[in-house]
Amino acid sequence: MTPHPLLDHLKQLPAADKRLLLAFFGAGLVTLALGVLAGAGTALVRAGLIDPAPYFGYRLMTMHGINIFFYWLYFAQAGLLLAFSATHAAHARHMEWRRLAWLGYAAMVAGFVLSQVGAASGVPLLYDAPPELARFASAAVGSIYLGYLSLALGLFCVAVSAVASVVLPRFAGRTVSLSPIGFASIAWAGLLMVSALAAVNAFLPAALWAFEKGPLPEDYATGWHVLFHNMHYLPLMATVVTWYVLVKALFGIESIFGPRFSKIVFSTYLIFVPPTSLYHMFLEPGLAEPVRVVGSLLSLFISVPTVLVFLIIVASLETHARAHGASGLFGWIRMLPWRNPVMAAVGMAVVNLAAGGALSFVLIQEKLAPLLSDTFFVPGYFHFLTVGTVTLTFLGALCYLIPGLTGRPLWNPRLLAGLPYLATAGLALFGTAGVIAGYLGAPRRVLDLSYAGDAPASWQVLMGVVGTGGMLMAIALILYILALAVTFLKRAPQAAALDFGLPGWNLAGAVPARELAWTGPLSILILVGTMALFTVVAFEMIKAAPLAAIGSGAH
Amino acid sequence: MKQDFSLLVIVAVVWAVLALLYATVPMFHMPGYAAVWGLGAVVFLALAAAIAAASRRERKRHEHHGEASHE
Repeated sequence: MTPHPLLDHLKQLPAADKRLLLAFFGAGLVTLALGVLAGAGTALVRAGLIDPAPYFGYRLMTMHGINIFFYWLYFAQAGLLLAFSATHAAHARHMEWRRLAWLGYAAMVAGFVLSQVGAASGVPLLYDAPPELARFASAAVGSIYLGYLSLALGLFCVAVSAVASVVLPRFAGRTVSLSPIGFASIAWAGLLMVSALAAVNAFLPAALWAFEKGPLPEDYATGWHVLFHNMHYLPLMATVVTWYVLVKALFGIESIFGPRFSKIVFSTYLIFVPPTSLYHMFLEPGLAEPVRVVGSLLSLFISVPTVLVFLIIVASLETHARAHGASGLFGWIRMLPWRNPVMAAVGMAVVNLAAGGALSFVLIQEKLAPLLSDTFFVPGYFHFLTVGTVTLTFLGALCYLIPGLTGRPLWNPRLLAGLPYLATAGLALFGTAGVIAGYLGAPRRVLDLSYAGDAPASWQVLMGVVGTGGMLMAIALILYILALAVTFLKRAPQAAALDFGLPGWNLAGAVPARELAWTGPLSILILVGTMALFTVVAFEMIKAAPLAAIGSGAH
Repeated sequence: MKQDFSLLVIVAVVWAVLALLYATVPMFHMPGYAAVWGLGAVVFLALAAAIAAASRRERKRHEHHGEASHE
């Protein structure tokens, strides 16, 4: 029988731990559903199919950003972090400090409710909620900041509980050494704690102003940028840790480079966080020119940890697959269990990461940032990361964890194995049309692009494609949510197979000393070539465009 | 376990240096950045300390068991 230590471990968790993890995942799916519906509405407004009445489109966009970026990504992360930290070692039996984690859950739910109230009733400030946009202090505006502060409190509590789950078993003598997943959990929890503190730094002065207890914050933008840098980095770190866990769970293999190297790579995420943060400030007029140059150079390091984890995983998988009979340059990829929903989700996440990563390098260049930051290039590229990479990875993980926690087999795995391709097809339309629209100067955060008939005709055509792609993505994600909800709610069979009958490929066993693994390095070569191509295209198109850049804060 | 401790200390040092840079060098002067990276350095130092404490407890347990088995 195929060994499934992670499934075994999930099944052995106490019922109280399972309830908590399912509560986090359930809340995550609710916030995802709300965010997707609001996002689909925004896409329809952009495509001209819904009337962009004053505030309505912006309210939808605000709810989309708040629910996806702040709540879906963080409820899911909280659940995954707690699950991985509670199962990081064979003898880690349960979650530690569960009550603190429940307190974190309650704070996050309270934050979610407060943010919804603020987004639905006040001035729609979009998810970054700059107070100067609201102009006047009000309880509705304050509700958004209070929601974010409550979320921060919740994340801090969850992170402390996760650290306790890794460290306390060692105090009790139940675990001897720290596994790479245990170490990654500590690193991930640490960055969550810092992000919670950064949220207080950004939102507390704004909340005091909104409730008329303090002045309008003078430097809200800086506080937001430093928080945003952490909070857009965290989901990527969570994604690669999740890949690491899932590959081990699906194929029964460890990294061929050994646990020590994996820990070094996970720690590089933390090392590169502060030095790569300056590119968010490129549009701030007061930033000194040498700082812009240094920031531009340092920002190139931002993808180093992700590329390293990708190489570890792909090389480990390829060498093991070759040792088990795979042949040809890409023969091993064809042999992977693509009908398994978890594999399909992770596979498409990798493809989308390559596209989003290559495009992101265009945006973090100091000369291009002012020209592209306020165009539709930005949502065009970042959906490859938020939907195509992070969300698909998290949903793939839930396809593994929810059956493991409930003992119920996954509902309709065949459908679920097809959804990553549907989401990626929608994303390809949305992202390609969005990036081209950005290169052609179509603004982001402007819902009526007609400009009284003065706008280029191509903008509206491209927004039609963006709307179509957005709807395909929305359909795929809603089907995911429904399938996972049915899995959760349906009655369990009396004797469900441990691996739930999903296609798999056990590659565990010794790897011959000399197995070549070309796919990883080749992928990196293609990635670098694509980045250079996108940059050249961007320069050429923008040089040809008759426009001037007047920037505001970059995001 | 020594590696785990060392890696987290390196992270804390990098964050502390960056915090100092943002707090003191006029060209980089951004108090918000300095505060967050500085607090981050404290968080990672605390995590390194927790790992070191667990490691010390483990070592003591081994020593104790070693002595017990000798007796």
